[in-house]
Amino acid sequence: MKVLRIAFVGGYFCAAMLPLIWLLLTSFKTRDDSIAVHPKFAPTWAEEVADDGIYFRANLDGYRQLAAVYAGGEHAFFHYLGNSLVIGLLSTFCSVLIGTCAAYGFSRFAIPGGRDWLFFILSTRFLPPLAVVVPVLMMYREFDLQNSHMGLVLLYTAFNMSLAVWLMKGFIDEIPTAYEEAALVAGYTRFQAFRLVVLPRAVPGMAVTAVFCLISAWNEYGFAMTLNNQKAVTVPVYFAGLQGNVSGLPWAQISAGMLIFVAPIIVFTVLVRKHLLRGVTFGTIKR
Amino acid sequence: MRGNTGRCRDWTPYAFVGPALFLLIGINVFPLLYSIALSFTNVDLVGGAWKFVGGFNYAVAFKFAKYGAALRTTALFVCVAVAVELVLGFALALALKDRFSGRAFALTALLVPMMLPPAVIALFWKLVLNGHYGILNQCLGALGLGQPQWITAPDLKLLSILLVDVWMWTPFMMLIALAALNAIPGYLYEAAAIDRASRWKVFRRITLPLCAPLLGLAVLLRATDAIKQFDLVMAITGPNDPATQTVSALLYQVVFRDGKVGLGAAYSYVVLVLVLALASVFVRYMSSVQRREETGTQ
Repeated sequence: MKVLRIAFVGGYFCAAMLPLIWLLLTSFKTRDDSIAVHPKFAPTWAEEVADDGIYFRANLDGYRQLAAVYAGGEHAFFHYLGNSLVIGLLSTFCSVLIGTCAAYGFSRFAIPGGRDWLFFILSTRFLPPLAVVVPVLMMYREFDLQNSHMGLVLLYTAFNMSLAVWLMKGFIDEIPTAYEEAALVAGYTRFQAFRLVVLPRAVPGMAVTAVFCLISAWNEYGFAMTLNNQKAVTVPVYFAGLQGNVSGLPWAQISAGMLIFVAPIIVFTVLVRKHLLRGVTFGTIKR
Repeated sequence: MRGNTGRCRDWTPYAFVGPALFLLIGINVFPLLYSIALSFTNVDLVGGAWKFVGGFNYAVAFKFAKYGAALRTTALFVCVAVAVELVLGFALALALKDRFSGRAFALTALLVPMMLPPAVIALFWKLVLNGHYGILNQCLGALGLGQPQWITAPDLKLLSILLVDVWMWTPFMMLIALAALNAIPGYLYEAAAIDRASRWKVFRRITLPLCAPLLGLAVLLRATDAIKQFDLVMAITGPNDPATQTVSALLYQVVFRDGKVGLGAAYSYVVLVLVLALASVFVRYMSSVQRREETGTQ
């Protein structure tokens, strides 16, 4: 039984990690090695390597060429990375700010129909982007927001609102009300109590919420692709646009770009690993 | 501080929750109402003159064979993906429940795929799945298992997309299943050991029923997500492949390639009804699980 268990977990682990390890290896290969018929999985620094061996000559050309524009593209990878950064950070800031205020409101006041409003907020998460994007596109045309960073920031802020409100409500519910009550008695207004007493205690929760909002905006593809085809193209849209013949694509550069793009996600996943459960279930499961 | 509203019966609570609700109504509710209007017109993507066409788009939508096929593909995709992910994720959770050295590292590493951007990582999967020089077929070849043409053979295309989805989302099921397993009190297993219950009986009578509520939550959450499947289809086979055209891919094709906005709006309404039905089941289920969690922790 124990052997079976180790074989199962070990087998799954190797299979699951294979694409990620292959991504790492491919980023150090030349183009010919990345699509070699004989798999090349051992990097070497030797000058001469056999064509049918398992060795490939490791080099950093994939990373160096990221600053250049590839055939068929309009800009270099870093241009799109910049778009992703601006849109991701701005929308995360707005989501966490607005979401924290709303979560505080729902946590501390008996708002008529409060529970229904909360579930309304949650249900917006289930809307398929492709079903919402058509009217949004028509609206954005009226306000000249399509093809702009602002348009995506607004959309992602709304899209992440469910996550921000639900996660922050969980965190704020855990902050004892005694502190604010003392502050209110001492003559603070409600807003002062929120800003000076509650917010500092909510910072760890806000950081976790920000990570989840950022990852979700960073990874988003449906809205970004359909609303933008020129100006504010994000990295997922850029990579997905590199279609065509698989053997013709510059895999070393693509892998290097993908690694740079997913590196922050992996770092953040490790940082918030204790809160992952909470993040993926909208705060329902808190252990 | 619920019930303490006497002091703030004014606008204070609304100042806190207002901006969030305003944003959602502006960016989610209003567009949905707007698209009802669009679904009764023949407006197209490039703009220009349009006229009211009544229920014409809905009649076309229901008669269009591609729409039925897309609904079936989506249903098949959701059922297979969620079932495989549930079984595999639960099995992994059972195998990883006990402590061992390196467990924390293994768990974190296993969770990475679900955090990655599907549209980006799917492009790399095209290299992995390639029939001639993909690493998957090279591994299969070394084991003498043949060389399936994952991305080009019509009957394997959907399987390829399922494979990538299972790779991404099995960790999600594992994560929730682990939480469910860890919450089972140890004395139940001790009592079962005293009664000399068989392994199967312990699993059937203790483990499974006590994990069921959280696993149900995981299944609903995954299903509402899988129904929207778009990113992987776009990256691996493109939006107009009959073998893998999910509802979202069809919507993309109709609106952005064929330019028929009115028809797309009519389609999306039928999808929305399905999604909202599932979402309301989820929301009800979630509030009951949440209530149980709250009373359970006290």
